[in-house]
Parts: sequence; structure tokens; C-alpha cells
Amino acid sequence: MRTAARPLAALALPLSVVLALSACGDSADAAPAGDPAAGAAEVTVSHAQGESTVPVDPETVVVFDVGALSTLDSLGVDVAGVPEAAYPESLEEYAGDDHTKVGSLFEPDYEAVNALEPDLIIVGGRSAAAYPQLAEIAPTIDLTVDNGNFLESFEERVTTLAEVFGEEDAVADRLAALDERVAEVRAAAQDAGTGLFVMTNAGELSAYGPDTRFGMVYDELGVSAADENLTAADHGDAVSFEYLAEKDPDMLFVLDRDAAIGESGTAAEQVLDNELVAATSAAQNDEIHYLDSAVWYIAPTGLPSVETMVEEIAAAVE
Amino acid sequence: MTRSTVDAAPPPVSPPTEGRRRGVRRWHVAGALLLLLTASLASLFIGVSDLSPLDLLEPDEGQVRVFLVSRVPRLAAILLAGSAMAVAGLVMMSLTRNRFVSPQTAGTTEWVGLGIVVATLWFGGTSLIGKMAIATVFALVGTFFFVWLLRRIVLTDMIVVPLVGILLGGVVLAATMFLAYRFDLLQSLDAWMNGDFSGVLAGRYELLYLVLAATVVAYLYADRFSVAGMGESFAVNLGIAYTRVVTVGLVISSVVTAIVVVSVGSIPFLGLVVPNLVTLAMGDNLRRVLPVTALTGAAFVLVCDVLGRTIRAPYEIPVGTIGGVIGGVLFIALLLRARTKGAS
Repeated sequence: MRTAARPLAALALPLSVVLALSACGDSADAAPAGDPAAGAAEVTVSHAQGESTVPVDPETVVVFDVGALSTLDSLGVDVAGVPEAAYPESLEEYAGDDHTKVGSLFEPDYEAVNALEPDLIIVGGRSAAAYPQLAEIAPTIDLTVDNGNFLESFEERVTTLAEVFGEEDAVADRLAALDERVAEVRAAAQDAGTGLFVMTNAGELSAYGPDTRFGMVYDELGVSAADENLTAADHGDAVSFEYLAEKDPDMLFVLDRDAAIGESGTAAEQVLDNELVAATSAAQNDEIHYLDSAVWYIAPTGLPSVETMVEEIAAAVE
Repeated sequence: MTRSTVDAAPPPVSPPTEGRRRGVRRWHVAGALLLLLTASLASLFIGVSDLSPLDLLEPDEGQVRVFLVSRVPRLAAILLAGSAMAVAGLVMMSLTRNRFVSPQTAGTTEWVGLGIVVATLWFGGTSLIGKMAIATVFALVGTFFFVWLLRRIVLTDMIVVPLVGILLGGVVLAATMFLAYRFDLLQSLDAWMNGDFSGVLAGRYELLYLVLAATVVAYLYADRFSVAGMGESFAVNLGIAYTRVVTVGLVISSVVTAIVVVSVGSIPFLGLVVPNLVTLAMGDNLRRVLPVTALTGAAFVLVCDVLGRTIRAPYEIPVGTIGGVIGGVLFIALLLRARTKGAS
């Protein structure tokens, strides 16, 4: 085991190495993993399950978190292994055979991971539980985002990724722009009335409040919750259409889980097409917003994802 | 010992006197009706929106809407599903001459689940009717296979028969789970299978009326089921077309299970516990027992649903979860009772 560098040194040292590497990275043949120089090109980053020392700009990367994958994709990083999943449209290329499949979103296929001999494994959310096993194969980081403190936690995770892949500047710019946009949306949301986030699944309905996995709508983007008492259960609180009629939100944000997982189930529009919903303020004012389900459900913690999410809510409140 | 399942039948209970039997019957019909009426009223007037019987005298637009679009359809769906599943359980119990055989312990429910997953995966999600048709085919295949298997196994313990069914159901469920896991449908499977009336609205449950037809046929055949339940040779001696009667019974039970599970999901123990409680009190004459079973089944589901709507209001606990808890307790009580009786 190599010793972990101290945080300060960890920041300073790899930066220069990364700059040097990225300058010649394209022209030189890809260095094999475990390159002698890698001893210097390491960085210790903190993540949801502690700290890990990982190689800087690792060669072979396995990603289990679609959010992190979308961040890497937007940074132009090549990824070797990805899970079987229903990918958002923007990440469709990862569904194909070009990328080795390393299990499901929840359960790694350890054989497949091992065979890739990865330099870095990234888990998050659904796959976080597999961290200990994966960490034995290769340096692993857990980029699970804390829903109770979404934006700050998300930005921390994205910055961690940027650090590992030497993209600090680009990411810092985008995060700054995002923060600005969030502030604008917050301001607009103040006068936009109450909102309710619901998910349709196989014809049934569940609602999400602040502090839940979709709570950033209220907590970060400032939409005032039509119901403050919803719990943080993973799949929300089961509610009836009567509940929608009674809470009568001004805006309804709808996530179609069937669409998110690529199922042609009962479409959310169909589920919500009934007299009780039609009588709500949201329906009457044309404020039922069907969200990009794959982004919100499958990849909600990626940098492009959050940018999309903020814009979708912005479109509703502005 | 013959080779049929009749060996597992409980020892015949000495028939009560004619007078006492009638008394028991009236009392129980009245009891079941009263329970059902109370629960129905509760169901109509308990919900997220405030709505009291008095409001209906001078209702506003919203109240009328909630009443007609949500409350009444929900009550109808519960009554239909509850009564039909209880009757299906009663029919299976009678035909297999085993108190512990029901669509839920014979594996029928699990076959329906497999049918739903197959319909979703390879028949493009299909319409509700398409799902129902495919699920019905699976339910029929599974139920007839169970009965066929039983006729080929010598069983001496009445607990073993449902155990075989539960085992079979377990195998089918495992296959279903594997498919669902492979295709990322595990959570959807849960949503499909767990009994839940929260999505019931006018226009969304009407296919459930199909089970009404099945229940009526069950009532028309009640006497023949009773005779068939006495065993094949006995039934044939009495001039009953044994095979046809058994077929009708199993088809009713399979179709009802498929329709109910596809429409609202499965309510654990319903088809098992309710017929048992009713026959314990009233004896085994199907024609006499069937209406009370239907009433009690409906009341059981109603009570579970009202509880599910009340405990965490304004959110819901699926009726399948509540039914599992209440039914499970009752089932254990029944099991213990059967064991004590068998030992004495």
C-alpha cells in the first residue's frame, strides 16, 4: 500500500502532474495502469464512505452511478465499464456494446469488474452498499449525494470528480453558473405558489416532500411545499388522487417511473387524466410539468443532470 | 388410503340440529351484513377530503366529484374484489377438501404474477385486458397443474397439501423474480402485486365487474361443488359430472384471482382466512355458506382498506400490507386450532 498524501500536498502535487499529463496525454501512447510515474500522480479524496487514495486521471474507470457517469461524459472522460440500466437519452451510447457491462445499478458483476482491471471504481446511491467489496478490487469512491443537503453535497462530489480527472477549472465555472441560476430560480419560485412532486409507478401515485430524494425542488430551488409532512421514504408516500385534489398544489411536478426505467407502463399523463386531478389549480392553470424521468430518477446527481433539473423547475416557476 | 387429496380432509363434524343450524345462519348473515354496512359507510365517508353524510344533502361541486369519482368506485372495487376472492377460496377449499387450500396457497397468485411479468416483457405492456388475458392463462395452467399434482401424491396430512401449493408458488415466484430482476422490474412487480385501492377511480376498475359473473356461476354451481367435495366416487354415484364440476370450480377460482390481482393486486390470506372462519361457524354446505363468505370477504377487505387509509392519513398504507398483518394473525390462529383438533 502506498501511503496517503496529506490533503494539502494532495491538492498541490497532482495538479501540476495533471497539467503536465494532459499536455502530452493525447500524443503519447496511453500509459498502462500502474505506470511507474503513477506513484506521484495520486490524490486522496474524501467521499461518502471516507477517504480514498486514487490515481489521478485514471486510465480504466468503472462507474456504477449514472449521475457520475453523466458528469464524466460531459467532461469528455472515457469510461470502460458501466452498469446495465435505462440510460437517459443523452447517455444512450453507454447502453450499447461499446462499454463493458459490469452488473446492474444495484448489484455489481464482480467478475466483470475484476476482468477490466480498473484503476478507479465509482459507486453512488444505489450501488453504495457494494463499496467494501469493490474497494478490494481497485480504489473506489462513493459519490452518494446527501439529499438533505443536496446542492452543497452534490457540488462537493462533482468537485471530487473534477479533482481526480483534473478538470477543476471547467467544473468550477459550471458550478458557479449553476449557483447563479439556482438563485434566480429561488427568487422566481417565491411567487409561483405551492408545488408537489409526485411519481407515478404502475398506475399508482406517491408524493415526495422536502428532504426526500427529490426534495431539492423545495429545499434548494425554493418551491413552497404543498405538504410539509411527507416522509423521506425511498419511494415516497403512497397517496390517492383525492390527496392531490385536497392538497390542490399550484404546480405539479411529475416523474414517470415507468418511463424512467424504460417500461411502457401506464403513461403518467394517462394516470393523471382524471376528474379529480383536472379540478386542481395545477391542472387548471396548465402547471402540470412532466419531468425528464430518466434524468431525475436514474441520474439525478450528475452535473449535466442537475443543470437540466434546475432548468426544468425554472421553466415551471419563471 | 385412496390416492386422491380427500385423505387430507378433516374428520366430518357432526351436523348441528336443523334448528340450531338456521339460528347460526341468520345470526351470521346479520352479523356479516351489519359489519359490511358499517364498513361501507366508513369507506364512503373516510378519506383525504372531508366529506360527511350531511354534506351530501347540500354538496358542493368538489364533494360530488370526490364522492362519485373516488369514493363510490373504490367501495365498489373493494366489494367486488373482496367477495370474489373469498368465494374463490371457498370453492378451492371445497373441491380439494382441504381447509388450507386457496388461490394464495395453491400458487395461483404467483402464476398470475408470472403472467403479468410475461405480458409486460413480451407483449409490449399491453392493455389491462391483454394483461388480464395472459395472467388468466397462467393462473389456469398453474391451478390445474397443482390439482393434477395433488392427485398423484399420497398425502396424509392436511397441512402438507397447501405446503405443496406454497412450494410450487415459491418456485414460480422465484422464476418471476428472476425475470423481474433481469429486466429491472422488481419494484414494478411489487407495485403490481401488492393489493392497493389508492388508484381506483371511476373508469379505472370496471373490469372488476367480470368477477361478479364468476361469483354468480359459483353460486349456481354451489350444490355441485359441495357434492364434488365429498370425493370423486361419491359424486359420480350421485350423478354429478365430477370432472366438469371440478373444472368449472378451478376455472372460476383462477379467473377471479387473475382479474383481481391484475386490477388491484393481491390481498394476502383473504381467500384462505375468510372461508375458513365462515365454514367454521356455519358448516360446509356451500350454497348456505357462499353468500356469507362473499359478505365477510368484502367486509374484511373494507376494514383493511379503511384502516390503511386512516392509520397514516392523508397517506395510504396498501390494503395488501394491512391484509397481510391481520390475515396472518388469523391464519396462525386457525392453524393452531386445526392442530389441536387433529391431536385430540
